[in-house]
Amino acid sequence: MRLLEIVNKLNLTVLSGSDLLDREVIGGYVSDMLSDVLANSKKGNIWITLQTHVNIISVASIKELSGIIIVNGRKPDDDSLKKAEDEKIIVMCTDERAFQIVGKLYELGIGKNDENV
Amino acid sequence: MEDISLHILDIAENSLRACAKNVHIRIIEKNEKLILEIEDDGKGMNEDQLQKADDPFFTTKEGKKFGLGLSFLSQAAEETGGNLKIERRTGKGIRISACFNKNNIDMKPLGDIKKTMRVLKASHPEVNFVFEQIVEQGDSA
Repeated sequence: MRLLEIVNKLNLTVLSGSDLLDREVIGGYVSDMLSDVLANSKKGNIWITLQTHVNIISVASIKELSGIIIVNGRKPDDDSLKKAEDEKIIVMCTDERAFQIVGKLYELGIGKNDENV
Repeated sequence: MEDISLHILDIAENSLRACAKNVHIRIIEKNEKLILEIEDDGKGMNEDQLQKADDPFFTTKEGKKFGLGLSFLSQAAEETGGNLKIERRTGKGIRISACFNKNNIDMKPLGDIKKTMRVLKASHPEVNFVFEQIVEQGDSA
C-alpha cells in the first residue's frame, strides 16, 4: 500500500516529504526505543512512535523505513523536520494514540502477512 | 539502549578510536542529579567537531554517514530533563558529562556497569580504564 492512501484513510498530517507519498509501505514497527528500532525494524516498514528527537530521522534513514507516524499530538522541532526533508524522510503526525493507529493500519492489511514475527 | 552501562560501552569506543591511553569514567550522584562523566586523553575534537558531536548526521568515521553514540546519550539525558556537555580538556582529550535527573520516571537504569568495565578492560588491555562511583553530600537547595 502507498503512503498516500494511509495518510488519507488515517487522516494524518504530513510534516515532511509531502512530495514522496507514492512510497510503498511494507509492514510496520512500533517502538519508542531507538536501538530496538535499529535492531528489529525492516526496510519499507512504517514506524509508529511518540519520540520526536532528531535521532528518529537518522534511524529511519539508516533502516530505509517508508515513514514515521508520531502519535499523541507530538511534533518534532523545525530543525528536525528540516533534516527530515534533507534526508527524504516522511514524517506524519496524529492526535491519536499508538494503539488506535496500529489497529487501523492492521485493519488496512499492513503487517498482516509478516512472516517473521 | 536499555541502560546507562550500554551507553558507557558505546562512548568508550569513541575514546578508543581517538587512541586514548587513559579513560576515566565517573558516576557522580548529588541530590537528585546523576552525572555520567567520561574523560579521555585521546586526540580530542576540533571546534567544528565539538559543535556537531551530538548531531546524529555527523561522524568522524570514514565512509560512514551517521554517528549515534553521543546523539543517543544526549537524548537519554534530555528525556530526564537533563543535558549533555562535551568539552575539550586542558592538555589532551575530551570530557563528556551527561547530566540526568535520576528521579525522573524516564531515567534509565544504570545496568551492569561492573560487567561493562570488565568487557572494556579485557578487550583493550593496553588502555587504562578507571571507574569511580561518587556520592556527594550536598544541600538539597
